[in-house]
Amino acid sequence: MTVSAFIENMPDEIASKVRASAGAKERALIQVATDMAGRASFGKRFLVVTDQRLLLLDSATDDVDIPLTQIEQVRSDALIGGGCLEIELRDGAPVRVYYSNSLTPKFAEVAEGIELLIQGEDPNLPLELDRTHCAQCSRLLPEKGGICPGCIRKRDTLKRLLSYMIPYKARALLLVGLTLVTALIELVPPYIAKHIIDDVLTKDGDLGLLYLYVGLLLGLAVIRWIGNVVRRWLNTWVGFRAMADLRADLFRSMQFLPLRFYDKRKVGSLISRMNNDSDQVEGYLIFDAPFVLSNATMIVGILTLLFYMNWQLTLYVLLPVPPILIGSSLIWNRLQGYWRRWSARWARLSTHLNESIGGIRVVKAFAQETREGERFNRRNHALRDVSVSAERSWLVFFMVTNFFMSFGAFFVWYFGGVQILDGQLKLGELMAFISYLWMLYQPLKWFGDFYSFMVRAFAGAERIFEVIDAQSEPFEDSQATPIPQIRGRVHFRKAAFGYDPGKTVLRDIDLEVRPGEMIGLVGRSGVGKSTLINLITRFYDTSRGSVEIDGKDIRSLRLEDLRSQIGLVAQQSFLFNGTIAENIAYGKPDASFEEVLRAARAANAHEFIIGKNDGYDMVVGEQGNKLSGGEKQRIAIARAILHDPKILILDEATSSLDTPTEKKIQEAITRLVTGRTTFAIAHRLSTLRSADRLVVLEAGKIAEVGTHEELMAREGIFYDLLQTQQATSAVMATEH
Amino acid sequence: MVPDNTQEEDKGLNTITPITVTHPEQVDINALRVFHEPARMLRLTIEDDRSYTRIKIVRAAPLSHPDRYICFLDAKDEEICMIDSIEQVDEAARALIREELDRRYLTALIERVTSIRNEFGTSYWDVETDRGQREFVVQNVAENAQWLGDHRLLIVDVDGNRFEIANLEALDKRSLAAVEQVL
Repeated sequence: MTVSAFIENMPDEIASKVRASAGAKERALIQVATDMAGRASFGKRFLVVTDQRLLLLDSATDDVDIPLTQIEQVRSDALIGGGCLEIELRDGAPVRVYYSNSLTPKFAEVAEGIELLIQGEDPNLPLELDRTHCAQCSRLLPEKGGICPGCIRKRDTLKRLLSYMIPYKARALLLVGLTLVTALIELVPPYIAKHIIDDVLTKDGDLGLLYLYVGLLLGLAVIRWIGNVVRRWLNTWVGFRAMADLRADLFRSMQFLPLRFYDKRKVGSLISRMNNDSDQVEGYLIFDAPFVLSNATMIVGILTLLFYMNWQLTLYVLLPVPPILIGSSLIWNRLQGYWRRWSARWARLSTHLNESIGGIRVVKAFAQETREGERFNRRNHALRDVSVSAERSWLVFFMVTNFFMSFGAFFVWYFGGVQILDGQLKLGELMAFISYLWMLYQPLKWFGDFYSFMVRAFAGAERIFEVIDAQSEPFEDSQATPIPQIRGRVHFRKAAFGYDPGKTVLRDIDLEVRPGEMIGLVGRSGVGKSTLINLITRFYDTSRGSVEIDGKDIRSLRLEDLRSQIGLVAQQSFLFNGTIAENIAYGKPDASFEEVLRAARAANAHEFIIGKNDGYDMVVGEQGNKLSGGEKQRIAIARAILHDPKILILDEATSSLDTPTEKKIQEAITRLVTGRTTFAIAHRLSTLRSADRLVVLEAGKIAEVGTHEELMAREGIFYDLLQTQQATSAVMATEH
Repeated sequence: MVPDNTQEEDKGLNTITPITVTHPEQVDINALRVFHEPARMLRLTIEDDRSYTRIKIVRAAPLSHPDRYICFLDAKDEEICMIDSIEQVDEAARALIREELDRRYLTALIERVTSIRNEFGTSYWDVETDRGQREFVVQNVAENAQWLGDHRLLIVDVDGNRFEIANLEALDKRSLAAVEQVL
């Protein structure tokens, strides 16, 4: 056996304890550490299982040593925020090993491993668990098997942002060149002014020289003006294009992200990433980034000139810079905190807005307008307060730096004045100096300001990149087997699955479905019916066992081929804002209008569609809200019929409809089902009468399989469920 | 967010339509016996009626009412009964219930924050809790921190571990500053 992830290193002290009780002959099969010392405190404890015994060790004294033959059962018990390995003994109190949620996946496997061991089988543990630490810097990863943010930083957000300029290289380079030139030209006028003062005005200079200098000034102004126009034009041209590319990347990634990603996040916050974060980055790329370059050039250029003109005076000019830098670095963290909080509160406010406008019917039905208003106000005020605090800190920072900066001017006037009186300095030089001084402070001040924009923009960019970098579904796996024609055999082999590690929803699912067979899935809500279906569509992968389609493991198949041959009709049909015809043809955009018509007819939708003013060209509104539930449902069925799937999934497709409508839909569904492997979930068991076989799920396992008649004859769970339902509907009927 | 207290609103409505709840049936608290049988396995007996082994004890509202509305579940996770307050049972049972709840709810109370590093919307915490020192990672604090009151905060880390700050104001200055940095 290869060394698995379940043989961890142990401190010497513990290792010697193991040798002492197990001897040299016994081999450790499982050797793992928990992160809880007991039930109440964090700490380390070691669990070692050999082929003979189970040891529980820590540096304290009360170690546990149990022969495997003594163990009755081992299971992992999910607690809130952690878990517990419950080891039940043949006699005596059970032994419990606690662990935090970080180790839940590991101990779920350990429990199964020990169970197999006590039954005399190979523990059969996976070789590797999802990585929780970065392989390079061993930092804790924000997501299991995810990307290390520490190591991604080295890739550098800025570099990555700039990489979006590469397609527009020529213009981007021209932009950089122009920016440098215009910045350098800015530096010339004060120098000319100096000559005007020293060579013309304070001497009996000649008018010709004045013409020359003024002409030069005018010429420079024209060049600068043209340069700026071209530069800005280029800037927007490149910036908006790069931004559009970034947004396209983001949207693409969002579409290809696995459902698991969406389970953990609020849709609102993802949309805010699209909106706010890309806005921030856009603002930065288009309005700020170019200034970095020009201002940096200005600062370097001016400092060089100043030192060249008069280094002593320059030192005075620079006197206020250190306190400004120190002050800003001190206040910086606080400002950043405010901004972060600002965006968090902004997100919360927009989530609420989204919710209460989206749910306006419910708000009104419960007459909660006022309370919603109050809730909104609370969030609005929270946002206001943090905005005020942020702005106030910023203002203080700004005032103080400004104050210090003006000190530079006092110094120059005083010391420059003294030098002029001593005859060491000319008036023109002093004037030029003062002009440069203000020119220097301007970009310096701007850099402080700019930094805040930059930080915000970079934070936005990072959040965008986080989504772009998140592991997408393996659509582009070149190793995957193409399966252009699915025949429809679906085979679950000992499949097990849980949305959260350690909390199994489905276990030991063994089921073989023939092509074209219709399976009705039955069971109480929450028993795992929809989860079973999610495994067929491969929205999620099994944690143990496998699902096979036409005899091939679903994980080896091309995802695109698989999904394009699975059709889904759900309880809540989601339609996109577009015409009825477009919605029917969603899965087959190149369908002819005749095909659309045929599908609509087959779905019993044609009749009501032609009753609409715009017929097939009717725009259905956001989420199809201009249509009734039954109408939407029939369009969804038409969509599925046109899509022509080999495997069809009906998830509560007929619930919550009135009887005549349901009849029509039933009829449509019967047409749809023919010749396709179908999995149907229905709350109303009577609607599953046409299923070839019914599969009854209970506690995550298959409890009963058989035809309607067989299950009725068996008088098991299905029989009970049906009896209860009939009794309930009888009561309902008499009440009406 | 604090759960809304609807009791006050109810006072205004003095004509509440009565609703009869038949399941689970009302159980006489005085007939409840909670004890370990077999060893370390919780058992609940309703005297002169029935008895359940391997019961589970859960809080109905673990965050807002930790000591009230305690539910007893059977081995199949179906509710047997609920007691309104832990005070309603005798001393011995209370101790057992407390122990079981303590075991089930592994929320660590943060007492001191050693450091919080924030990078790329992910924060790395190093804290002292009532259960000992611990490091954890929170992805996007704004989404994974839940305010339970004006100063009470629940933080869920990437693995689903839970940490609580019972009172932000009661933290020492450095810890508070660190927390405010990321909130």
